[in-house]
Amino acid sequence: MLGEFEYLILGAAMRLREGAYGAAIREEIEAATRHSCSIGALYTTLDRLEAKGLIKTWMGDPTPRRGGRPKRMVRVTANGVRAAREFYVAVRRVSRGVSWEATRVAVG
Amino acid sequence: MGGNPSRGRMMTRICCWLVDVLSRMLDADERQAVRGDLAESGKSVVRAIWDVLDLIVRRQVGLWAGWQPWLALLGIACLAGLLLSRIAFRLNVDLGQQLMAYYTYGVHFGTLLTPQQDMAWLLCLAVALLVWSWTCGFVLGSLSARAVWLTWSVFYLMVLDSALVRFILSGNMILRDPQPLRLLITATLPLNPATFLFSVSAVWGTLVGVRRRVLPLRAVYVLASAITIFTILTTWMSGWYETAHEEWSGRAWHGVAWPMRLLPLVLVSWPIAYLLAMANRQHTSVNETR
Repeated sequence: MLGEFEYLILGAAMRLREGAYGAAIREEIEAATRHSCSIGALYTTLDRLEAKGLIKTWMGDPTPRRGGRPKRMVRVTANGVRAAREFYVAVRRVSRGVSWEATRVAVG
Repeated sequence: MGGNPSRGRMMTRICCWLVDVLSRMLDADERQAVRGDLAESGKSVVRAIWDVLDLIVRRQVGLWAGWQPWLALLGIACLAGLLLSRIAFRLNVDLGQQLMAYYTYGVHFGTLLTPQQDMAWLLCLAVALLVWSWTCGFVLGSLSARAVWLTWSVFYLMVLDSALVRFILSGNMILRDPQPLRLLITATLPLNPATFLFSVSAVWGTLVGVRRRVLPLRAVYVLASAITIFTILTTWMSGWYETAHEEWSGRAWHGVAWPMRLLPLVLVSWPIAYLLAMANRQHTSVNETR
């Protein structure tokens, strides 16, 4: 089973498709969660996902915008897609019948 | 007012330099990708320093998930370091008293042995210390990889200071009016011949170990032979002193038996067994792929 941060990375990489690399995934996660995402957490989780065979990474071409430095490109593998789908289905299943908005109001 | 922007630029330049220096602790590919990401994100340099530090800490912690750095820390830095410290201390004392007697009075310091025997003993101990230090350094570098800065620091301080700490704790040495700076210099710099020999040899071994990881089988055989010869020679020669003291005291004083003299030397030599195993494994796997 995936962790939620692993799921966020897989989701961001799937959305970005060909343009999935370190900085872009980080921006995508920060925009989605409205929380800052550290490079340390991102890169160590990318390693973990790659070790599990859920993504594949490689060094891309250098670009002038990055001071001539290459990107760490990311592609989600078929196993990655399957794991992300299972996680999503589990979250949906466990959320069935739960209304967070109503709960918040009730607690408040 | 005019000084503030230039001071700000200076701070930015210092922070950028810091990011550059810190990121060198990362693997080459990762360093490039991270520095590219930081350049692209346009976040503040302080945030960039924090990000790089965070990644370095996570990587360092990750390294300790394997057994190799632990073996380097406990087996070499602690165990071999403690034993090397005793050997270095013995060399220092024996060499120091001979040099002091020679330069002050122009005579050989009486150890109940002949000057030639004393000279042979000092030479053997010095070369043995060089060989052991190099081998320990190599295996430390080979096992530790990027955690080498920590394991090496423990190893170095263990060899330099464990004798000093032992004397202070046992009450044989009392520090009267200790000056912190002088104490720091004594504790961190190889200021005597034995610790200097150890430092040079161990640094060299560690650098080779980090780069090469495994030595060719032939080189390991040569090193293992040298270590075996010096272990036997050191055990045998240290017996000269024991016998001389026994005879001098009319057998009232009992010297240390040879197995007890040999044991610490065998323990400090364990890294060569590891090197032999690694070199053998590599040799076998190369032969199998042919």
